[in-house]
Parts: sequence; structure tokens; C-alpha cells
Amino acid sequence: MTKLQARNIVKQFDHNGNSVLALDGINLNVEEGDFVCIVGPSGCGKSTFLNIVAGLETPDSGEILLNGKPISNPGPDRTMVFQEGALFPWLKVVDNVEFGLKMAGIPKDERSQISQRYLDIMQLSKFADSYTHQLSMGMKQRVAIARALAMDPEVLLMDEPFAALDSQTRDLLLVELQLIWERTKKTIIFVTHNISESVILGNRVIVFKNRPSKIKKEIIIDYRRPRLTEDENLQKYYHEILNELKTEVKARIKDEYQ
Amino acid sequence: MTGTTSKKGNLHNNLGDAANITLFLAIFIGIWQIVFMIGIWPTISLPSPIMVAQSFVKLGSNYSIFYNIGITLGRLVAAFSISAFLGTIIGIAMIKFRSFGKALNSISAGLLSFPSIAWVPFSILFIGFNEFGILFVVIMSSIFSIMISTYSSIRNIPPLYINAARNMGAKGFSSFRYVTIPAATPSLIMGIRQAWSFAWHAIIGAEILMSIVGLGHILSVGREFLDMGQVIASMITIFAIGLLVDRFLLHKLEERVRKKWGLDPHQ
Repeated sequence: MTKLQARNIVKQFDHNGNSVLALDGINLNVEEGDFVCIVGPSGCGKSTFLNIVAGLETPDSGEILLNGKPISNPGPDRTMVFQEGALFPWLKVVDNVEFGLKMAGIPKDERSQISQRYLDIMQLSKFADSYTHQLSMGMKQRVAIARALAMDPEVLLMDEPFAALDSQTRDLLLVELQLIWERTKKTIIFVTHNISESVILGNRVIVFKNRPSKIKKEIIIDYRRPRLTEDENLQKYYHEILNELKTEVKARIKDEYQ
Repeated sequence: MTGTTSKKGNLHNNLGDAANITLFLAIFIGIWQIVFMIGIWPTISLPSPIMVAQSFVKLGSNYSIFYNIGITLGRLVAAFSISAFLGTIIGIAMIKFRSFGKALNSISAGLLSFPSIAWVPFSILFIGFNEFGILFVVIMSSIFSIMISTYSSIRNIPPLYINAARNMGAKGFSSFRYVTIPAATPSLIMGIRQAWSFAWHAIIGAEILMSIVGLGHILSVGREFLDMGQVIASMITIFAIGLLVDRFLLHKLEERVRKKWGLDPHQ
């Protein structure tokens, strides 16, 4: 069943008075329970696309359908894990995880049951009463994932959530995320500029072209899980994507130095 | 994790601070005593530290100092509460109505630096030579600081927090209550501290010129009766209250919030 559908999404930006075409007609279907990675050169508009799916930005034309119905506003059915975590520093870890549930008016008892469950899954129970500044970057991102999952979203959106992590922590989280995906059967859209991340995580990897962005290529990765960073059999996918991206990165750099 | 050691460290620091301050005061009073004994100024212009202490005893013995402190603080609390309440509402209105906010913000430097004493003649003619006139001066001297800090604290909230809140379904009032207010709190407290010090300037000035009771008043009575002991004793009282309120109330509050947020690099 198609969970999420992007239909001909177009988005322009004002940049110093000039309008820049960021997304030039993105069409994408995501099946229920799928794990889709979007890769592209930095600044190609992949985060913008994710924000549009989240309802945080509105497209100039085109629409996003969730379960066949168009969406326009942000909603807890499409929770996002942001690159910087975006945890609230004035709340304890447990209250961060419960925040969306509180906004939804779910009573306290039920909230703490749910938050406990997801803190358990993310192995954060010990830190429930900590404030976020007491956590490492990796732990912060695990809280952010717990917070997003606690809302039991239809689609989980992830915007370069591991970009700021050291490589050991990242490798661990890449495995953890695969296990969570298998356990929760969530539909996930994961944006990254890191090719190996996309190969490890995605059932499908969507390559975005440099601005104005379109979908350049889609690569299906049919390989057993959990996939590990060091698995050499993933190299051929890696190189396939790298070849697609090389020209785009070159175009991007040319844009920037003009 | 390092609870006990940091507590010990704090105690040690506090003791060290106290020793420093005592030493500083001792040297200051010593120099004062020496200058007094050299006799450059007549006693009426510069009494000795002991004479000022005697003025304290005199002001304390008929409780007049406590009465006047009470009057001044009562006025200050009343005026400051009104100012904080109205200032916050106007600050929020500045966010809601953008051109209003921009207009006020662009003249904020003039409003913030406007001397409190310059409100006195206006207040006497507009409100009257009375209690409300004094409150008016204090309110006008602190409200702009509250307004502008409310406005800028909310405007400077990282958009990331707002997006995260929207993403999790926060809307309208609950978004304001659970995201905007707490996110703006560290910077709001700094604004309140500043507004409080403006209000403190204003109340003493207004009392010197407009009142027949209060700390500012006993300060000006000291001048009228050529009683420099009382003038200095009043000044020391004003200094001490300003210091105590800031250190034990506003600064403590700020520290607590900063610690909770992890904004304090020294922990």
C-alpha cells in the first residue's frame, strides 16, 4: 500500500532578490514499511523536500498525500528527527520524549508508559531524569529518535540525524536504527549526504540532482540486514551511487564558486 | 557525579570570596579613617566611619530606617509588578503586530537610555505630587526594558525549537505556554534583572524629589540638616539592598535556569 506520495513538488526560494528554483518537480511514492534514503549534494534541496513532507514548509506547487489524503500542516503523523536533535533544553529527557503526547492531550499515566517503552528501546532509561546538556551527541540523537517514535507516526522523517556524530557512534546507531525499523515496521524517509549511510539503511536510495533538484536515479538495495559499515559487498552499491553523485557534486561546487 | 567535590569547591570559593570582601572593606574603611584624620575636609563634609555607624544606630533606634526601607521596597514591588505585567503584554503584542513591534524596537535605544529622573516633572504635572506620581516614574523607567527584552527574547528563539514543536503538534496557546515561554526564559530573566535595576534607580530619584518618606527621602533630609552621617548611612543602605536583591534573588534565579539549561561553562 502506498503510504506517502509526493506529486510534482516545486519550490522556489528568494535569494538576494533572485528567485532560485530549489525543487523542480519531485515525484516519489513510498510504500508502507519502506525505508527510503535520499542522497544528494549539500544544498540540493533534499532537506527542503523533507520539510515539505513534514508540513514545515509549503511547496509552490504540487502536493503531498498521506494515505491518499493531501496534507498541508505539520502533524504528529509525520514526526521528524532533526540534524541538531532539536531537543528542548528546559525539559528532562523523559519530558522531551513525552512532549508531543502532552500536546496531543494524552493523560499522564499513559504518557509515562509510552515514554518508558521508547526510552527502553533506545536504552536511555537510566537517563530519563537528565537534562539534555548532560548527554553526549549520540545520546541526544537517541532521545530525538525516541521522541519521534513515541508519537507512533505514520512516517518517520530523518534529516541527516547522524551528521554530527563521531564515526563509532554513528556505526552503532546505524545498526540500532535498522533493528528499530525491523521491530516497529515504520515507514522511514531518511535524508543524508553520506553515501555509505544511505547504502546501509535504505531499501531504496533516491539520488537527487543538483539545483534545481529532480530525482536523478533510484537504486534498489536488496541485501540482508543488519548491514554493517565494513561489509564489502555493499561497495558496489556505494560506487554506483558515488558515480551518480560525482557529476552533481562537481556541478554544485561550480555553482558555489561562480 | 561530582556532587560532593563541587559542593566543597563552592564552600571553599564562598569562604574565599568572603575573606576577599572583608579585606577590601577593611582597607577601604582604613583609608577613609586616615583621610578623615588628615582633615582635608571639615567633619561636616566627611564624617569618620564611626560617626556614620552612629548615624546607623540613630536611624535604627527609632526603627525609622526599617520603616523607610519598607516604604521604598513596597513602592518598588508595586510599581515593578505593574511594569512587568504590562511590559510583558506589550512585548507580546509587539511580536503579534509586526510593524508595531518594529517601530517600537527601532526607537528602543532612546526609550531605554531615557533618564528616569527626567520623568519626574512630567509625572508631577500629569499625575500629581503623590504616591501614584512616584509609581508612575518607576513604571515608566522600567517598562521599556521589560517590553524590549520580552520582544527580543521571543524573537531570538532558535527556529529549530519552533519547528520541532510544530512537528510534534504544538499549536496556539499550548505552543506559547510550553515552548515560547520556556525557550525565552534565560534571556527574559536578564531583561528582568536590567529592568529591576532601572526601577531601583528611578525609585530613589523620585523619592528624593517627590516624597516625604522612603530611603530617597531620608537621604535628602540628611542633606537639608547638613547631616552627612545620615546621607552616607542612607547611601550604604541603598547600596546594600541593591546588592542583596540582585545577588540573592535575581542572580540566583538566573544561575538556576542557566545551570538547568547547561549554559554555565564552569560546572
